[in-house]
Amino acid sequence: MAKRIYYILLLTLFIPLVTVQIVAQQPSVYSIKRMPFNINGFSNINPVIVKDGIIFCSDRRFSGIEDVTGYNGKRLYNIYIAEKRDTSVYRKPRVLKSERSNKFNNGPFCIAPDGKTVYFTSEVETGKIAENKNFRNHSGIFIADLTGTDLISIRPFKYNDPAFDLGQPSISKDGKYLFFASDMPGGQGGSDLYFCEMVNGSWTTPVNLGPKVNSPESENYPYMHPSGKLYFTSNRPGGIGKLDVYFTTLTGGAWDDPFLLPEPINSTADDFAFVAEENLQKGYFSSNRGNEDDIYEFVSNIIRKAKCDSIQENNYCYRFIEENAVKYDTMPFRYEWKFGDGNNATGPVVEHCYDNPGTYTVQLDVVNLVTKEVTYNEKSETVVVTEIEQPYISAPDRVEVSQRISLNADSTNLPGWNISQYYWNFGDETIGVGKEIQKSYLRPGIYNIQLIISTPPSAGSGPKEACVSKNIIVFRKQ
Amino acid sequence: MLKLLILNLMKLKNQVYKIILILCLSGFPIFSRLSAQPVPGKDENIPFLVTFGKDGKTSWGDNDFYQVFFFSIPKDYTKPVYIRVFDPDCGGEWDEIQGEFDTKTKFSVYGGKGVDPDVNEESRGIYKGLNYKSGTMLGSKIFGNEAKYDNKYYSFGPFNPSEGDFNAKWNSYMFKMVCEGISGDDGNLYKYFLSSDPDNNVPIEGANAFTYAYHFRMWNDFKSVAHIYPYIDTGIVSIKEKNFDWDNDGNILVVSRYKQGINVPVSNEDDEVISNISIEPQEIGSSLDFQFHKRQDELVKNNNVVIKLENQRGDALKFFSSPIGGVPVYQPKINVQQVKKPKK
Repeated sequence: MAKRIYYILLLTLFIPLVTVQIVAQQPSVYSIKRMPFNINGFSNINPVIVKDGIIFCSDRRFSGIEDVTGYNGKRLYNIYIAEKRDTSVYRKPRVLKSERSNKFNNGPFCIAPDGKTVYFTSEVETGKIAENKNFRNHSGIFIADLTGTDLISIRPFKYNDPAFDLGQPSISKDGKYLFFASDMPGGQGGSDLYFCEMVNGSWTTPVNLGPKVNSPESENYPYMHPSGKLYFTSNRPGGIGKLDVYFTTLTGGAWDDPFLLPEPINSTADDFAFVAEENLQKGYFSSNRGNEDDIYEFVSNIIRKAKCDSIQENNYCYRFIEENAVKYDTMPFRYEWKFGDGNNATGPVVEHCYDNPGTYTVQLDVVNLVTKEVTYNEKSETVVVTEIEQPYISAPDRVEVSQRISLNADSTNLPGWNISQYYWNFGDETIGVGKEIQKSYLRPGIYNIQLIISTPPSAGSGPKEACVSKNIIVFRKQ
Repeated sequence: MLKLLILNLMKLKNQVYKIILILCLSGFPIFSRLSAQPVPGKDENIPFLVTFGKDGKTSWGDNDFYQVFFFSIPKDYTKPVYIRVFDPDCGGEWDEIQGEFDTKTKFSVYGGKGVDPDVNEESRGIYKGLNYKSGTMLGSKIFGNEAKYDNKYYSFGPFNPSEGDFNAKWNSYMFKMVCEGISGDDGNLYKYFLSSDPDNNVPIEGANAFTYAYHFRMWNDFKSVAHIYPYIDTGIVSIKEKNFDWDNDGNILVVSRYKQGINVPVSNEDDEVISNISIEPQEIGSSLDFQFHKRQDELVKNNNVVIKLENQRGDALKFFSSPIGGVPVYQPKINVQQVKKPKK
C-alpha cells in the first residue's frame, strides 16, 4: 500500500514537470483580441492602420434600424474610421462617405503614402444595368481623394473591366507598386494576385505574381508590409482551415514559397485581410471564427530585445613578451617558454592559444648562448584563461534553406546564475524555448538570432536577464 | 642508548660550528660586504691587475704602461690605513716574462688636493700627456725582480685617512695608487688590498676602490668569468665602451637589472673596438655588470686587456671593485597580452 502511494506521489510530481516542459517548448507567438468597434450581426473586415486609429469596411447601418442595401438587396459595405481615444479605447466609428455609399459597395481599400489618395473596391457598372438585381456586377478599383470624412473625385483604375473582378488594393510604402486581387483571364486559377508599377505617372499593365504565390485556388487581400513582406489570404490546401493568411518575400527577383502564419492568427475559420505595424509586433486581421466577420488585433508575444550584445567569441590566445629582451637585438640568449599545457615556443616574443579555459603556469627558461648555461624557470607567470561571461549561441554561421539545424546554449558562461529559461528569437518571427533546439529557415536571408537567458527572482533581487545575438545566413542551394 | 644519542648530537653541533668557521675563513659571501677592498674585488673575479714595463709592446695587452687606482675611505673612519700590494715585484711567480725579467715597476701613493678625480680630471690617468700624478706623493717604491716581494704583500702606509683628498659626494677621503712600468718589457701582475692592518688584509668597512681604465689579466681557463662593475651616475643616457687587445677572446656581456646580457663586440690583437650601449632610466644609480666570457673553442692564455667607458658627454666612468648597489642581477619582465585569435 505504502509503495503504491509512493508511486502515485512520484507520478504526481513528475507529470507537471513533463507538462511544463512541453508547454515551454511550444510558446504561443501571438495573442489576439476582438476589436471593440465590431458590431454583432454585421460584417467588419479589411482593417487599415492609420495614424488616428483603424479604418475598416463594414456593412453596418449608417444609423437607426435600416440597413443600407444595394440593387441586389444585399447590405452594402462602406468605409469607416474608428479613431483612438487612447491606446485601447476607440470612438464610435464614423463613415467615410462617397457618392457611391448609398448604391454600391465601398469595399476593401488602401491609402497611398500621401495619406489622401484612397484606392477602394467598388462595382464597375453604375449605369442602368446595374440596377437589375440579377445583374452580376463585377468589382473594380476606384481612386478617390479623402477630405475630412468624404471620398471625393472618384475615378476608375485603368484596368477595371466589367468582365471580371479586380479589387482589394494595397500600395507599397514608396507608392510605386500597387498590388491587388483579380480573377482576370490568364491567372493560375480562381482569384490571383497582381501588381502594377507606377511609371511616368501611370500604372503599368498588371503582372501576375506567378505560380509560387498564386495557386489554383484563390488568393486575395494582398498587403505589402513596409518590411517587404507580402501578406495575403488563400484557401489553398495545406492551411489550417478555409481562408488562411500567408506571407512571401521577393528574393533575387523571385517570390519565395509562401509561409503560413501560425495560430492563433490563422484558425479553422476564415482568416484574412492581415495588416501589421511597421515593427510587426502588433497588427490586425479579419476572421469569422466568431461566426461572423470581425476584426481582431494581434500582439506578438515574441520577445525581441532592442539592446542585445553580439556574441563574443572566446579567445584563449596570448602574446608573451620578455620585455627587456625585445629592446635589444644583440642578446645572445634563447628564450624558451613552457605554456603550462604541454606546449612550448622559443623567442623573446611568442604567441600561444590555449584550447580550454583554466589556470596555467607559464615558465620561461633562458639559454645563455655564450656560456650554454640554462636558467630554468627564470620567471614564471600565472595565466588565468577565462571564458567571457555571456550567454552563448552554438549554431552554424551559414545554412541552406530548409536545412534542419541544432542550436544550443551549452557554452553559456554565467557563473552563479540559476537559469530558468533559454528563450530563442530566430529573427523570422519564430521563437523557441529550451537549452537545445532544432530549427529550419524557409527563406534565404540574414537572420539575427537572439538568445535571452533569465533567472527567477531570488531573495533580495529581481530576475536577471542576459541577451546575446548572432547572425545566421540562410542561402538557397544553387 | 640515551648517552649515545647525546654524544651524536654534540658531534653534529661541533660539525656545524666547524662548517661556519670554514665558511667565514674562506670569505663566504656573508662577509663580502666587509671584504670590499681587495682590488680586483671579490665579485670581479679577476685574477690580477697588469702593468707592463714601458718597453713592452701594446699588443701584449697594455696600451699605456701605467695604471691608476683610487681608494676611498669613509670620512668617519679615522684609524691608519695601509694600501697593500700583492706580488709587487716583476719576476718569480705570476708575472709575465718577456725574454728575461728586467722590468722595474714603480708604485706611488698620492693624497691631498689634486687626487680627487671628480674635481681634477687629469688625475684619472686616462688622458695621455696629462698629469695623472697630481696630488701629494705620500709613499713610493720601485720594485724589480726581487724574490723577497715575490708572491707576498708589500704595505704602503700607515696613512691618516685625512691625508686623502676629501670628496663630498662620496663623503670619503681619496687616495690614489699609480703603478708605472718605468723600465723593461715584462708584465707585472699584482693585486691591491686596502687594509687597516699593515701585515694582514683587514678590510675597512665602507671603503671602496675604483679606476677609470682597467688593465687586467684574463683567466687562463675556459670557465672563469671575470666581471667589472661600472657605476651609472645621474644624467647618463648612453655609454661608449672601448676595449683594447682582447685577442677576440670570447664575449663581453653587459648585464643589469634590465639587461639580460648585451653582446658587446670584442677587439682583436693590439686593436681597440668602440661600441655604444643605451642606458635605461632605471639603471641610474646602480652598477652594470660587464662579464668577460672566455672563448670556448680555443684557450687564449695570458690575455691582458684594457677596458674604458665613457658617458655620452665623453666623461669616463668609474669601475668600482665593490659594485655600488651590489652585483646587478637581471630581473626578467614578462608581459602577457591577450591577442586576436589567428585566422585559420
